[in-house]
Parts: sequence; C-alpha cells; structure tokens
Amino acid sequence: MIELKHVSFAYQGQEHDGLHDINLTIADGECVLFCGRSGCGKTTITRLVNGLIPQFYAGELTGSVLVDGQEISKLPMYQIAAKVGSVFQNPRTQFFNVDTDSEIAFGIENETRPPVELAERVEQATDDLHIRPLRNRNIFELSGGEKQKIAFASVYAMNPEIYLLDEPSSNLDMTSIQELKGHLRLLQKQGKTILIAEHRLYYLMGLADRIVYLEQGRIEKIFTPEEFRGLPRETRERMGLRAADLAEVRPPQVHPPVSSPVLELRDVTLRYKKRTVLHRISLAAAKGEVIGVVGHNGAGKTTFSRALCGLHKDCEGQFLWDGQAMERKNRLKRSYMVMQDVNYELFAESVEAECSFGIRNPDLTLAASTLEELGLAPYRERHPNTLSGGQKQRVAVAVSMICGKDLLVFDEPTSGLDFDSMTQVAGLIRRLSELGKVIFIVTHDFEFVCRTCSRVLHFDEGEMPGDIPVVMDALPKLRELFSVKVNGSEGDREGGLGHSDGKER
Amino acid sequence: MMGGASSRRGLWLDPRTKILLLLFCILSAMMAPSLFYELGLVVLIGLLGVCFGKWKYAWKGVLFYALIVLLTLWIMDTMTGTWRTMFIAFLGLFHKVYPCGMLSGIVLSTTKVSEFLSAMNRIHAPKKLVIPLAVMLRYVPTIQEDWRFIKDAMRMRDVSPSPKGLLTHPAMTVECIYVPLMMAASKAADELSIASITRGIENPKPRTCLVQIHIGPADLLAGICFAAYLAVGLYWKGVFG
Repeated sequence: MIELKHVSFAYQGQEHDGLHDINLTIADGECVLFCGRSGCGKTTITRLVNGLIPQFYAGELTGSVLVDGQEISKLPMYQIAAKVGSVFQNPRTQFFNVDTDSEIAFGIENETRPPVELAERVEQATDDLHIRPLRNRNIFELSGGEKQKIAFASVYAMNPEIYLLDEPSSNLDMTSIQELKGHLRLLQKQGKTILIAEHRLYYLMGLADRIVYLEQGRIEKIFTPEEFRGLPRETRERMGLRAADLAEVRPPQVHPPVSSPVLELRDVTLRYKKRTVLHRISLAAAKGEVIGVVGHNGAGKTTFSRALCGLHKDCEGQFLWDGQAMERKNRLKRSYMVMQDVNYELFAESVEAECSFGIRNPDLTLAASTLEELGLAPYRERHPNTLSGGQKQRVAVAVSMICGKDLLVFDEPTSGLDFDSMTQVAGLIRRLSELGKVIFIVTHDFEFVCRTCSRVLHFDEGEMPGDIPVVMDALPKLRELFSVKVNGSEGDREGGLGHSDGKER
Repeated sequence: MMGGASSRRGLWLDPRTKILLLLFCILSAMMAPSLFYELGLVVLIGLLGVCFGKWKYAWKGVLFYALIVLLTLWIMDTMTGTWRTMFIAFLGLFHKVYPCGMLSGIVLSTTKVSEFLSAMNRIHAPKKLVIPLAVMLRYVPTIQEDWRFIKDAMRMRDVSPSPKGLLTHPAMTVECIYVPLMMAASKAADELSIASITRGIENPKPRTCLVQIHIGPADLLAGICFAAYLAVGLYWKGVFG
C-alpha cells in the first residue's frame, strides 16, 4: 500500500512542477494513471514514491510518503529499488550496460543474487516478455522501442511489488505502445501495483482503475475510467488532456486544393551501410503541403528525412525543385530538419544570437520580425537552454525561416507534449504551410496527423506502399495504419504496421 | 560500435589485468629511454589490439605514430632555434601520452560495464570511485551518437564539421560542438545516474555478475609481455646498474 499524507514539495529554485497538500492512498494491485498539463506535478508524484525525492532531487518536502508503512525518505535507495521499480521516458539514457544480457541482469546483480539465480531470472524475464530476439545484442543498435523493452525487462527481473512508469510511451511507435500495454496487463495479472504518469491516455483506458487529474500541483479530481471516457471533448481539451479514445479522432472532410507540385522525387533509392533502405520512391509535393511520414522503426523514415535534407550521401535517383535537379549541396541549402531533440541544433548564448548564428551578413530586421511572428520576441535575451521544449522548437523554426529554407522536416515534433503544446505546434505548422513551405513530419501521433497533415506517406519493408490523403473518406485506411481500434466490436485487437502479435492472451 | 555483445570474438582479458597493463604502459612511456623504445611500445599495444580483433584501430594507430616518429626525427635533424624547442616540447608530451591514449581506447571499447563493476568489487575499490568511472565507461558510446546529430545540425547551419572548418572558423566550430555536447552530457549524466540508483547500484554488499570474470592464462601472458617490456626499458636506462 502506498500512502501520501499532506505531501507538499517544491524543487529548489523552480516554481513549477511542485506539489501542494497531496493526499492519496493506493491499494495493492491497483493501477493508477496520473495526468494533467506539463508541469502539473505528475512526474513529481512518481519521484516521491521511488525515493528520487528527496534523495536525488533537492527541495522542500513536507508530509509523509509511506510504502507498506515505511517512510520512503528514511530508506536507502537500494532498499527502495527492491520494492519499487521505475521505467523512465528516455530510452537512450535508461540503460547502463552496452549489451542487453548484462542490462537485464543489472538490477538483480545489484541485489547480489547468486549467479545461478541471475541466469534463471534473466531467462524468466525473456520468456514472460517475449524478448528472445533481443538477447545478447548491442543496445546501441536497438530501436527506441526495443531499448524501452530491455529497460522494462531489467526492472521486471527484480520483481518489485510496485511499478512506476514516467511517460513511458513518449518515444514509442504505435506497435511498441501496444506491446507496452500487453506488458502492463501481465503485471496487473500478477497483482502488481502500477503508477503511470502520461500524456497519451488512450492506451491506458482499459488498464487504469483510477485516473488522477492534477492541476498546478493539486489533485483536482479523481475519475473512474467510465467517468473519464464520458467527459465531453471540449471539457477534456480545456483540461489540457489528449484524446482518451483515438476512435473519436477524425480527420477533416476535405483539404483545400493544392497548387502544382514544386518538389519532385523520381525513382529515389536510399542505402544505409550498403543495405537498401528505400527502393525507387517517387512522389511530388506542392508548396504549403504538410505531409506525414509514418512506418514502424527501421522502415527508413530517418534515412528518408536525412536524404531530403541533403544529409545522407548514399542515394540514387533525382530530386527536383521547380523542375530543376537538386544535388545534395542544393538540398542542404534549401532544407532544414527540426530534430526530435532540438538541443543538438541550438548553439548560441541567446535567442537573438541564435538567429544570426553562422549567417554571413545576417538580416536583422528579418530576424526581429520572425521572432515577433513566432511569439519569441519576449525571450530575445534568454539563453535557449532556459526555454521550454516547445519554445526551443520555435527557435529552431525561426532559424530555418531566417535562413530562407523552403523545405522543412520535423522529426517527432510532439513526443512528450501535452494537449496545449500539441495544438501550439499544430498552429505553427499551419502558419508555415501558409507561408508556402513544403513540410514533412515524421510522427506516430494520430491526433497530430489529423490536425495538421494533408496526406501521409507510409514506408514499409523498403517500399512506399501508401500515399494516403488525410480526409474522412480515407479514415479506415488511416486507422489501420496507426493501429487505431474502434470501440468494443472488434474486441481488444492489437496490431498494426505489420507487426501484430497477439501476446499474453 | 564500441563494446557490444558480439565483440567477444577475439581475446578476452579480465578488467583487472587491463588496469595493470595500463599501469605498465604509463610507467614504460614515462621512463622511455629512446624514441624507438616508444615505437616498440606502440607496436606492442597494436598487437594487443589485433588480438582483441580490432585490426583497423591497431593498424591506424601504429601507422599514425610511425609518421609522428618520422616527423620528430626530421625536426631533430633539420630545425634549429626556437622552432626546434617549441616542437620538441610539444612532441615530447605527445610521445608520452600517445601510447597510454591508444591502450585506453582499446580497454574502453572492450570492457563491459558489468565486468568492470564486478572486477572493481573483487579488488574492494570504494563505490564512490567506481560508480563515476562506470558512468564514464557507459558514456563514451553515447558521445558517438550525439556527435552524429551534432554533425547534421552543423551542416544545416552551413558550418562544416571537418578539420578544415576547424582551421578556418575555429571559434564557431568549437562552439558548435561544445555547446550541444555539454547540454546533452549534463542531461544524460543525470538520467544515467537515476537509471542506476533506482535499480540499486548503491547496495553496499558486493555485487554479483551474470558473466563470471576470472584470471586465465591469457591474462598472465599479457601481463608478462608488458612487464617484460617495462623491464627492458629499465635495463636500457641502466636502472639495474
């Protein structure tokens, strides 16, 4: 049993993300979902339970957090670790070893179990979670979803009574989310207690027993799944929450007609390390078009975007702009990629300096008007690193506009964003589309695609089997592509993107 | 790629042996009696690299060092005055550091984090020292990944991520690498620490290990080779009278 009694917490030197007078009791075997806007304190609650507060994050803590009657702040971290297992958001920095076997064993090695038991437990976790193909591999060569599975397996091998998951789906594709859901269901069957802080809610609707909505560090309301599903869309959106049921998400009826194409790809073949990733792709795009790029991990989305931007060398075929062939150097000049981790592309010490960084004879009036346009003018003097994720993204977009780029590629622009930030990004992309940019968006986010894209390209097995308009008529196809299941009639069907496996049922 | 499960094709040495080899290497480089002795040391390290199955690394490392040796000989032969002093001072340091750097590269890329942790446990090294070292060992391949993204970002901003760029726009190029790498590093270090402490790395009891480490004949042989080479150097210098 987990008990939070009059808990308040404030991070050192930080106003948001704190908690005020939280009272909550979670019974054994319960699955509780924490949701709310970014900064509402849902992650903070998980950190109270796994002891990271106060042992890793300093701040002002009052009240008491009890797990099975024991005060968490008085236990050493390694004793908490045996009771409470934690899975985090970023798959890249969750593993400590370089090979998968050692990583699965990492937690139980720390528990100093004898070698025979180590091997047994690793085998058990492998079988229960169906990860045989991932054994004995280099973790750096795995996809984000696979890394997440290894992190989960490592915690699973420790067999804790309580599982904490902090936005586990942020970096996962639809198939991996379905698999995560399967794993959670397995834990539920074993009678484990599960606490999840999440933005994406739809995949947890069949799992959560209670849904705790937080606002500015306070528990605003606790819903049952039925109550939550019954919330009208407007209310839910006002609460800053993502869709509870993707079956309710719909694309628009029609899109305005597009002008004649400006970008054309003819028989483009891409190779990565001598292996053909995409074979003879042809497509055309007009100014102002917003094109989604989907496909499961390893389908060639990244290579495709890098080739579009002139960053990938090993390609054949023609790229044309306005009927003129574009060599790699020209593409590099014309295009810009807004990376998933936008920190890699911010170099300067202030937003203003960023806008003229690396440009010979920068146009300062253009820089100023662009910052104004994107609502960044108040942050002109700030260091880019002190901005929020969404604001950083805007700075990167501002840079692309000042450099006069016509072709923009966004890589997972909505990963880990709440509803408000997602609609802001959608607004930004609409604005860019009005300015006549050609925009590609690599994404797994069905809600976002329906809001922004005019069509989606589907990559699979080195081919491009689909170029689907995002309109009502194509809804069944789109749902299949994003493995969106529609109400109870089809049961709890899992699958999509060619990787369906009905596990654990 | 660094490390990895598939890298056990070649030789396998106990992490304790590797640390001992590093120690011998540092001593040999420090009291190297001549340039050719150092070249021999680098060749020996290259051979070790070959045994580990790192052909390319070993070959490149030895070749590059041989070129530096030729350069040094040429400078000693032809130059005089301030230039000579400057170069000799710089190269002197370089010759001392190079063998150790090359061996460290091999050690880092062939040691699994879990092996390292249990080896350190066996020699009862304090956890306060071992955990940061393990994080460092884990962090090396992360830098490689980060570097790929940063290179892309630089190209899109028309900053060339090449040695030529470094020479023509040194300040800007350094900033482009340094700033994002620092940002990524501070975040990654936090997240890695969290991932390890929430899985109980701080447990004071000695850790067990799925992969059993043990000192075998190969360890002895490698140890003897490096120790003998050190002894040869000492004899050469006349330490043994």
